[in-house]
Amino acid sequence: MNNNDDTAALQHAVQQAVDTSSAINIQGGGSKSFLGKGSAATTVSTLNHTGIVSYEPTELVVSVRAGTLLSELTKELAANGQSLPFEPPQHKGATIGGVLACGLSGPARPFTGSARDYVLGVRMLNGQAQHLRFGGDVMKNVAGYDVSRLQIGAYGSLGLLLDASMKVLPVPQHELTLVSTRSTTDDYSYVSGLARRALPVTAAAVQGKTQYIRLSGTTQAVRAAANQLEGDVDADADAFWPGLRDQSLAFFNTDKTLWRISVAEYAEALPLSGDWLFDWAGAQRWLCTDETPEAVFAAAAAAGGHAIRYGIDESAARFQPLSGTAQRLQKRLRDSFDADRLFNPGQFHPEFDSDSSIDQEQASS
Amino acid sequence: MTTQNSAALGSTTGEPEDQLRQRCIDGLSALLPAGLMLSSKEELKPYESDGLTAFRKTPLLVVLPETIEQVAAILKWAKANEVPVVARGAGTGLSGGALPHEQGILLGMAKFTKIIELNPERGYARVQPGVRNLAISDAARPHGLYYAPDPSSQIACTIGGNVAENSGGVHCLKYGLTVHNVLEITVVTIDGEILTIGSSGQDSAGYDLLALMHGSEGMLAVTVEVLVKLLPEPPCTRLLMASFGSVEDAGNAVGEVIAAGIIPAGLELMDSPAIVASEAFAQCGYPTDAAALLLCELDGLEEEVTEQIENASKVFTRCNASKLHIAADEHERLLLWKGRKSAFPAVGRLAPDYYCIDGTIPRSQLSRVLKQMSIWSDEYKLPIANVFHAGDGNLHPLILFDSNIPGELQRTEELGSKILLLCVEVGGTVTGEHGVGVEKIGEMCVQFDQDALLQFHSVKAAFDPQTLLNPGKAVPTLQRCAEFGAMHVHHGELPFPELERF
Repeated sequence: MNNNDDTAALQHAVQQAVDTSSAINIQGGGSKSFLGKGSAATTVSTLNHTGIVSYEPTELVVSVRAGTLLSELTKELAANGQSLPFEPPQHKGATIGGVLACGLSGPARPFTGSARDYVLGVRMLNGQAQHLRFGGDVMKNVAGYDVSRLQIGAYGSLGLLLDASMKVLPVPQHELTLVSTRSTTDDYSYVSGLARRALPVTAAAVQGKTQYIRLSGTTQAVRAAANQLEGDVDADADAFWPGLRDQSLAFFNTDKTLWRISVAEYAEALPLSGDWLFDWAGAQRWLCTDETPEAVFAAAAAAGGHAIRYGIDESAARFQPLSGTAQRLQKRLRDSFDADRLFNPGQFHPEFDSDSSIDQEQASS
Repeated sequence: MTTQNSAALGSTTGEPEDQLRQRCIDGLSALLPAGLMLSSKEELKPYESDGLTAFRKTPLLVVLPETIEQVAAILKWAKANEVPVVARGAGTGLSGGALPHEQGILLGMAKFTKIIELNPERGYARVQPGVRNLAISDAARPHGLYYAPDPSSQIACTIGGNVAENSGGVHCLKYGLTVHNVLEITVVTIDGEILTIGSSGQDSAGYDLLALMHGSEGMLAVTVEVLVKLLPEPPCTRLLMASFGSVEDAGNAVGEVIAAGIIPAGLELMDSPAIVASEAFAQCGYPTDAAALLLCELDGLEEEVTEQIENASKVFTRCNASKLHIAADEHERLLLWKGRKSAFPAVGRLAPDYYCIDGTIPRSQLSRVLKQMSIWSDEYKLPIANVFHAGDGNLHPLILFDSNIPGELQRTEELGSKILLLCVEVGGTVTGEHGVGVEKIGEMCVQFDQDALLQFHSVKAAFDPQTLLNPGKAVPTLQRCAEFGAMHVHHGELPFPELERF
């Protein structure tokens, strides 16, 4: 693995953006163009900022530079019998910085926790090119606001991530997948109750009539749990999970628009036409549809959740629009890190970058 | 750790106290039903400190609202009149986070004690902020569910306070902190606006404000409702107790058990003074001749627990454990935990006063930190007992002292400060779970540099530009740091012994 601390160059690049008042797009491996990009003319790459800063397996903590390839980090952890428990998607060329900035977690998320759950600390540059450190390498830390976790899923709009420290866990001794056929399609009623069962379930999904459940843990525990759950052990189905994690299953190869809808796992079926795939025990629903963004956002909001559009089309809305107090506070929060809106302008919730919406908000309140 | 930060106060009117109090009473009386305000000296007395009793201040008045709308009305009024507001739950906090403001309103959330909805099928409880931590698990237990974070004060502390402090507990190595177990909160901003943060799903649109609110010590908004996740009670739970001839061996065993791929539900270390005190207090069967004790709890399916108990036993034996004991039944298991959970009051019986420290360190630094503390303990002639959430590196040294001896409290605080700065120096933090409050505000100047502190203030300003919510807590002003006389320690660049004393 390349080991190179590029902090000085990155800080210089951000300082230059400050000095010239010109915005920048932050980019890692560029593997997630389907989640949008900023509208700046200049791109600052983290790809030269690579390597593990510290890794002590018995501490269950790894600290890594943002430009490190996720595949390389995963390999290094696996060599020590450990992994990132939030099972981040391994899009080709993905960096750890990109995964964290997008806040992406894989099928294990409802059972083992999300990317932000495992972040312990970050080093970052804010919109004044200041080099800041929050959190640390220890699991319990309540000194100051939790700025580290706030960065996760902020799409770089609060700062340029330099390094992140994360909690890691041992790879389970044994893993198997149970497959069964439901009598109707899109029936997630069984998987949505699994989190309330004291069983070592680490993933649960439904596609069409097929239900997949993954068990991970000690060999004994996994065997015992398999006897208590629907479905037959199917070794061929093990490959389903990486495909689901990376959106590389045939389902995701669509001419329609792909949406990720996040709701409570028990939320009723949404009144939207299209093809569905239920991950996260029903809490993350993939939809291929021709419905308009407005319709998808409205249905997600009515179900108490939110939607994100996947795809490279930059002309349509991508994130669930925010309004009222939520929008006003989050816009102020963005400005508290990046007052000149230098980072990834327009990428994450464009309403944060627009002055007019706030003025209207205040005028109407 | 001396005087409270006064530079960031919202109220700078210089108005005489009685006049200001009357203005608050008049203003709030117009908004609230009668009987929700306390303002006489006797009534205010119980509110003058939280669990950190070394710090006391009398608020202008105490308001005990009963509805979210009343909270909103109070905050809106406070903002319009630039009067500081300090929110308070059960007042069990150990860092002075709920220490009142002398020119401010103390907003007591004690009347918000309803469990609004407990839904066993969906695995959640929607509760008001004044519901006690343990009351949630008690209500969930008939359904085979529980709320995971279990701070030692869980019998009294409230969920609103747990959110404000991001409380941990003895089981957070496996089950996480408050932030990992709360799905959604409703808050009232200083503008009097009601905002829902998080969702009933696994994430929500926009920034992760839910993470930001946890541990923000009442500085950003006031929590008025909490949706917590309930977990299924594990079918099997066993507790393995291992005795060691030295603290180093015990510390080493912790690393080895984790290296063996075992993640215990709880992993607690106690040193000899803590063992002896807890045994005398709880008569729980601790080996009082051991130099260190590990309590290692494993839970899950019976097959899994049996296998892991065997593996952990092997590891401990290899790490020179002098004695291994598995709790024979549920009664004994709970008794052994009772000893650990009563360690603070138990140690408290050994001396007129004790001072609890809350640093977190990388576990590899344990023996270095313990050795240094023992040297300082001799130097200061102040005994120290140690309980340690060993699995996650959260150290709780308890310094024994007598506040009636002139100067001893100051020497204790000085020793405490030294220990915290040592935690920072070895790569840890000044507070793992008790919060900064007023107590560790000086040490924050060492853990964070000027730019990071200014960023914290900017975050605060996004929510509360007039700094009216819990002013002077958690994040020191730069002026305060200049008075503190400390400087930021970059790892290893500044040898610890050369630091100024505080």
